[in-house]
Amino acid sequence: MDFFAFLVTQCLNALSQAALLFFLGCGLTLIFGIMRIVNFAHGAFFMLGAYVGYSTVHWTGNFWLALIVAPVAVGGFGAAFELGILRRLYGRDGHAFLMVTFGLTLIMGEVIRLVWGVEALQVKPPESLSDIVFILDEPFPVYRLFLAGAGIVVAVVIWQFLERTRLGLLIRATSQNAEMVYALGTDVALVRSAVFGIGCGLAGIGGVMAAPLVTASLGMAPNAVIDTFVIVIIGGMGSFLGSLIGAVLVAFVQVFGTYYFPDFAMAFMYLIMLTVLVVRPGGLLGKEA
Amino acid sequence: MTGTSGLSRRSILGATLATPVVLRHARGDEPIKIGMPVALTGPGGEIGAQMRRGAEYWAKTVNAKGGVLGRQIQLFVQDTAGDPASAVRKAQDVVERDGCRLLFGMTLSSEALAVVPKLAEWNAIFMSSDNGDGRLTGESFVPNFFRANTSGPMGTRAVSLYLRQAGFKNFYALGMDYAWGHNSIGVFKDEVKKSGKNFIADIYSPIGTKDYSTYITKIRQSGADACFLVLQGDDNNAFLAQAKQYRLGDKVQLLTEIVDLNSIHAVGEAAIGLIGSSRYTFTFPGDANAEFVAGWKKEYGNVPDVFEGEQWQACLMLQAGIEKAGSIDADKLRPALETVEIDSIKGKVTMRACDHQAVQRGFMVKVVHKDGAPDPVPDLIATFPADQVTPACRQMTYDS
Repeated sequence: MDFFAFLVTQCLNALSQAALLFFLGCGLTLIFGIMRIVNFAHGAFFMLGAYVGYSTVHWTGNFWLALIVAPVAVGGFGAAFELGILRRLYGRDGHAFLMVTFGLTLIMGEVIRLVWGVEALQVKPPESLSDIVFILDEPFPVYRLFLAGAGIVVAVVIWQFLERTRLGLLIRATSQNAEMVYALGTDVALVRSAVFGIGCGLAGIGGVMAAPLVTASLGMAPNAVIDTFVIVIIGGMGSFLGSLIGAVLVAFVQVFGTYYFPDFAMAFMYLIMLTVLVVRPGGLLGKEA
Repeated sequence: MTGTSGLSRRSILGATLATPVVLRHARGDEPIKIGMPVALTGPGGEIGAQMRRGAEYWAKTVNAKGGVLGRQIQLFVQDTAGDPASAVRKAQDVVERDGCRLLFGMTLSSEALAVVPKLAEWNAIFMSSDNGDGRLTGESFVPNFFRANTSGPMGTRAVSLYLRQAGFKNFYALGMDYAWGHNSIGVFKDEVKKSGKNFIADIYSPIGTKDYSTYITKIRQSGADACFLVLQGDDNNAFLAQAKQYRLGDKVQLLTEIVDLNSIHAVGEAAIGLIGSSRYTFTFPGDANAEFVAGWKKEYGNVPDVFEGEQWQACLMLQAGIEKAGSIDADKLRPALETVEIDSIKGKVTMRACDHQAVQRGFMVKVVHKDGAPDPVPDLIATFPADQVTPACRQMTYDS
């Protein structure tokens, strides 16, 4: 394999991983930006997405349908959770949210165990994505190209949504000054439910997309939540662009770090986080704490 | 047994069962109580559940035939959650409270290692069906412990014997970054070098790795024609699924220590082509196995998995020992078990007196697609004689 081919394929690998990390990080950071709460259950929503995706593919045989059903179902569940439970806690201190969302993780894990069982479940991508393409004579899975592409599309859509739509405007306004938005006659509570739902939906779509790579399994939640927190801490809590930069940075460092220094594969991600915390405690694009 | 089992046997059974209960009591025959502290939850939960099913199926089968020595088998199953301290407690429970003098179970080797020092005090015999740790028949050997199953070193040995005859020349190895991964790859590396072949390099992935693209790239670039994998659980599933997406198997033969049905079920087609050792698989040849698999299918609606088969073999071994001794008393049963021989699902298996390891053949399987089966199945590709696979007495390593 010549060096150029190696470089191109590794960059594509990194982009496909960045996409998955971005789906997770973006949702978490949106929720934090608006609500000032850390959603500990984010990994569980990611896992739920994978399992709902599995069932959709299992019953309909249609992966594309799973890409719609999973985020809608997970997002809907997230919004309902915000409406039914989190809403009662606003005004309490942050610990309450940590306890409740952590508790939700445990409950969701057990419910998923009861419904889907303990064995890992296989999610097959559609035929059209199962093939390989040759990039400079190196075989590369189409599915990874699809992941990278989907990551870019979703990033652009969310960016445009935040910049150009009325709901996007309200979300940005609420994150800056919720009282003012409320005083101007907007139902802030509704905005919060919507954002919580969208954030969870993004985690859900990440879950379906990750499933063909790692299978749907009970180990997904704790695994995902750690990476997500690292990304959001690097990028800055509440910053959309920060979560994008954090995801790309972590993915590239992991892919190339593992290649050149396999013994320190895990260390690099945390090293970046440490450096950022020392130099800019609020994260690359976050507000200084 | 379901009501659909063989009519003729059932009618004979009916006759046996119809023998007045009074008569059996008149002979003073109490049930044979067997304690089974086993991990039903926690890390070994899936394996423990298999062990329990295997033992329950055996108990049901022999009880329907009138039991062992005319006595019914009664199992006392307890969940240890895979914790050694809890395993000792639960074993003590079944021995002292329920009066068991025979033990099955102890899913993890750590649990078995914690329990065996107590066996003499309890005057109990423990027949292991899945413990892999070589020390149990080595430095930690006790007279009341017997191992019916293939041990860990015996599985690795089968893989290395296979390597000597297979055409691969250049090897790479990928393992999980903790004790098991490093140990297994260390042993493997020695075996490759002993057989005069080239070991290129080894690499270790952190537990919980999700993206294997870089590892796959490294394996491809290395020029190896075979790669030895020491991965398990989610990590193993993720690697196999992604390796399939990169068509790694077209270029490099993937080898693994143990092939089990769970991971085949989890990754489906991605497991096709994988070669590894197998302690037991339902596709083994022989009438005894065919009969076992058919009976199992009738009872549970699916084929028996590795530890269900291993447990069945352990049960038959204990049964043969009890029948030979005419007693379950440890002092009579121990010498009987030491020379017991059965011909069962894995062929001829002989217990040896020197370290209580059951001497049995080693098997290598390849995962293949079979028409009509929803999942790929492990297919037997090589069998190695028992004397080459079983280590010397109380040893964990092999001289040649």
